[in-house]
Amino acid sequence: MNRTIAMKSGEDGYMQELKGTTEYTGVHPQKFALWLGMASMTMFFAALTSALILKKGDFKSWENFRLPSIFMASTAVIIGVSIAMHAALISYRRARFSAFRWLFTLGFVLAVAFLLMQWLGFRALAAMGFPLTGNIAGQFVYLMAIVHGAHIVIALLVTGIVLILAIRARRDPLYELKDVINPKRKLHMELLVTFWHYIDIVWIYLYLFLYFNYR
Amino acid sequence: MSAHTTTTADVHGHVDTDHIHGHEHHHEPTWLETYVFSTDHKTIAKQFLITGMFWGIVGGLLSVLFRLQLGWPNDTFPFLESFLGKWAEGGKISNEFYLAMVTMHGTILVFFVLTGGLSGTFANLLIPYQIGARDMASGFINMLSYWFFFAASVVLFISFFLQTGPASGGWTAYPPLNGLRDISINKGSGLGFDMWALAMTFFIVSSLLGGLNYVATILNLRTKGMSMMKLPLTIWAFMFTAILGILSFPALLAGVALLEFDRLLGTSFYLNMIVVNGHLLDYRGGSPILYQHLFWFLGHPEVYIIILPAMGIVSEVLSVHSRKPIFGYRAMVVSIMAIVVISFLVWAHHMFVTGLNPNLAAVFVLFTLLIAVPSAIKVFNWIGTIWKGSVRLSVPMMFAIGFVSMFISGGLTGLMLGNSPIDIQLHDTYFVVAHFHIVMGVAAFFGMFAGVYHWFPRFYGRFMNDTLGYIHFYVTLIGGYAIFFPMHFMTGLPRRYYTFANFETFNNFNFLTQFISIAAIVVFIAQLIFVVNFFYSIFNGRKVDVERTEDGHTYGNPWEGTTLEWTAPIERIHGNWAGEIPAVHRWPYDYSVNDKPYISQNTPLAPGEVEHT
Repeated sequence: MNRTIAMKSGEDGYMQELKGTTEYTGVHPQKFALWLGMASMTMFFAALTSALILKKGDFKSWENFRLPSIFMASTAVIIGVSIAMHAALISYRRARFSAFRWLFTLGFVLAVAFLLMQWLGFRALAAMGFPLTGNIAGQFVYLMAIVHGAHIVIALLVTGIVLILAIRARRDPLYELKDVINPKRKLHMELLVTFWHYIDIVWIYLYLFLYFNYR
Repeated sequence: MSAHTTTTADVHGHVDTDHIHGHEHHHEPTWLETYVFSTDHKTIAKQFLITGMFWGIVGGLLSVLFRLQLGWPNDTFPFLESFLGKWAEGGKISNEFYLAMVTMHGTILVFFVLTGGLSGTFANLLIPYQIGARDMASGFINMLSYWFFFAASVVLFISFFLQTGPASGGWTAYPPLNGLRDISINKGSGLGFDMWALAMTFFIVSSLLGGLNYVATILNLRTKGMSMMKLPLTIWAFMFTAILGILSFPALLAGVALLEFDRLLGTSFYLNMIVVNGHLLDYRGGSPILYQHLFWFLGHPEVYIIILPAMGIVSEVLSVHSRKPIFGYRAMVVSIMAIVVISFLVWAHHMFVTGLNPNLAAVFVLFTLLIAVPSAIKVFNWIGTIWKGSVRLSVPMMFAIGFVSMFISGGLTGLMLGNSPIDIQLHDTYFVVAHFHIVMGVAAFFGMFAGVYHWFPRFYGRFMNDTLGYIHFYVTLIGGYAIFFPMHFMTGLPRRYYTFANFETFNNFNFLTQFISIAAIVVFIAQLIFVVNFFYSIFNGRKVDVERTEDGHTYGNPWEGTTLEWTAPIERIHGNWAGEIPAVHRWPYDYSVNDKPYISQNTPLAPGEVEHT
């Protein structure tokens, strides 16, 4: 019964084989799929922002206002998330696990703080006279922040799982080392951090878009 | 799965050069992993196909029911009451349920059958097989794609059993009707619509996850020698279909998200100054037209998401069964690309009656008519392919030819409707119903059937029954025209109306309406023949002639095709090929060349042979 079974897709041996036998482009297919996914999400946010432009153009009682300053602070925090996550990835690659765990936790905490600040931003908006059901200009701020926040929540869920695994692995240095030389794990870390960068950049874009449209 | 941290060979101290992951390390999949939560593209393809067939029957049955109402508006059908309960009291379908059926028919057929069932089935089956890959880039994401589709199906199906019924505000879900969560206006605008929106969200997620995988797989996992210009046209079609979906479905998701914000959170993106039962509601500043832009930014590419895979399948089937190379391979590829690009620039042709600026409308007319160019190139090439070929009129070939016929018939009325002055007259009439049902409904079904009959041996190692297949074909072809051709003459008749009995003007259409209803019932029964044939042939169909090789695998090439899926063992093993994946040396359409009936893609060029470019 020499029935040879091929490897599971997406795993290391797979890539080893690919390099020898396929028209291998040098990009890991899963990384490529993430890029496509980001292109798709970009279309989603583009649709929302173009909806805003359309509305602003045809609605007479559109009210411009200054965005609550808490959104500027949250934008600074989300840049912090990206920096922390990137530093965590570098530590991971260099097998500095203690630093990796701390930086990764920091990124996680900052991202939670970001969501809380968005919530505070909503309260500030409502206090300014722009509740969720108020002027359409205000509604768009809620919309953008909520749908963006939904992406953050998904990223947090995945990050949370990785964080728990990382903290558990702490007792066994050999296991940790194996994680780093495990290309599949490394790939997944890279994918996760890439997604964090992407979703952070999306918020920066949304913030600037709102800021300049509401001046 | 820590054994995969390094190559298995290192961990276990022996090297299996042909197969890096030797069989002895493989964990035997459980029943659940093999048949339910499978990550194998072949199983997932079957899951999509069978779910799609289920939805096809449901969607078709809905059309039979509302055709009963349209054909015999003054009669009652007592059996309906036992079947539908309060929706058909006294055997007469209620007007509310009529609208729900029309809405669900559209949603089910467009998304669940002709997108999920068509793309999901054939992209999954053929991409790894035809490009020479063990499986998709991510089997797990591929599995998720199916299970999101399944979840969407469950949610949508449950909505049929709600007290207020399923969504009934049209498959396009336009606000303000669907933007208010008020069942006193429209019963289907209650929970039924929320479930529709949830089902669509799951569906979009499914479609995106699938699409990412298809594109990543095609671009990254082609076997040695399989350059892009050696890809079969099916693969080109699936890739561009996926790209279209990746870029356009998000707009629908945004549209539906805003709609649910309005419905659940009280925002007013689409609602403005609405009066209900004499009360002015609080919504200010919204615009229902905004929804139409977001919807049709997907909605128009969606028709190409439906038709492109069918076109790919038909190109392949026509070439194989004509025993001739496809005519104009490069032109075919460029046409697909052109269709994809232009399809993003035509969405407002669905909105000519919204008060669109006529100058803007002219731009959309121009691009809409431009799409006729690549479409016509494709039709010309299909006819060029069968021209003077040694045509084998097998069942898949019949359906492929039927596709071309339908696509031409429906495409011609597209040219008429693409002109805004004509469209404004014909908007929301049966003429439009005729146009899109023929060009993207019946035609896409023909493509799908061609694919099912052609690749059934690849799925199950057996053929489907020919006699039943021919009956299915002729009834569907003649019946399809019988249903939709007369609608071209019903130009004044508005779509979606529950009954025309109150309008004397329309009395002269009574005969045609009944005729169409009878044809629809006959065609529906013919589809049941297909379903019976499908399941019967899985177990009892004629077996494919196979050769058994030394390694115990059986190989068969029932249609004498050149593409790689026929170089893999018929018995469908995990990883597709028993040994190494075959390398590719030639394009996929070497039929009747070098005095041979066909030459497989993995056959090296003969000495002195010039590669087809």
